[in-house]
Amino acid sequence: MDVPPISPLLFYRDAKAALDFLERAFGFETRLLVDDGQGGVIHSESAFEGHVVMVCGPPAGKYASPLDLDGKRTGSVHVQVRAGLDAICERARAAGAMIEREPADQAYGDRVFTCLDPEGHSWSFGQSVQIMSADEMAKATGREIREKL
Amino acid sequence: MAQKTGFQPSVIYQDPKAAMRWLEAAFGFDVALYIEDDAGGFVHCQMRYGVALISVGQEWADDFKSPLKLGGKNTQLTSLTIDTDVDAHCERARAAGAVIVAEPDTQFYGDRVYRCRDLEGHHWSVGQTVEEVSRETAEERVPGLKITGWL
Repeated sequence: MDVPPISPLLFYRDAKAALDFLERAFGFETRLLVDDGQGGVIHSESAFEGHVVMVCGPPAGKYASPLDLDGKRTGSVHVQVRAGLDAICERARAAGAMIEREPADQAYGDRVFTCLDPEGHSWSFGQSVQIMSADEMAKATGREIREKL
Repeated sequence: MAQKTGFQPSVIYQDPKAAMRWLEAAFGFDVALYIEDDAGGFVHCQMRYGVALISVGQEWADDFKSPLKLGGKNTQLTSLTIDTDVDAHCERARAAGAVIVAEPDTQFYGDRVYRCRDLEGHHWSVGQTVEEVSRETAEERVPGLKITGWL
């Protein structure tokens, strides 16, 4: 199987509903689904531009949906897109995503919006609108920026 | 800075600077971008493994927490696919203090995978494809599994 080198795996109480949401809201496509035979999802891949997120649930043991943790989460997912950022935001809003930060140009050259999905996982979407070097980014943000430690 | 398209997991740490050092020692990630403020405080970090990027994040809001604060629970896991020896990768991680949850084992779908917990309790899965497996073969190997789609 052709699998990109890094993929986030997100835990949901209702993994099938989550896969459906990712299609409607963000335009991802479920390309693999392994059903546990009891309504749960052992493994799945939701693809976007050749990259995948994996969705599983219901979670057990050390895994949890943010719904199980009072909305708290141990990570988030950033999606870097080629084009159409504002349209993705409108599509996500229409599908029920809670938009936390509306699309806005950032000092480092990307246009970004962030939102929460129905179980409280946090997503950010970014599109490069201006290509900047580390030096230019440092000037624009007033921060020290290193490309090595 | 132009970024490649795709998914980039962000992993939240109580001590992101310690996490950066650990991820380098244990897994072989390099710093791709590190931003700090005038006082030397952590602002943002991206680390790279080959072409793969992750963000190392801090607990910047009340609802973004390290597993250390949540009884070890994880709402997401990061899966890394490598093209070098996964058993050697596992030994490197173990030597750096990773808790190996599942030792390297070849899965029915053809990847050899190990799983571990990092210094703050985040779960990681690291795999190497060792065999090309068709959907039919995968379903034969695990009776009762219903697979839709395959690549």
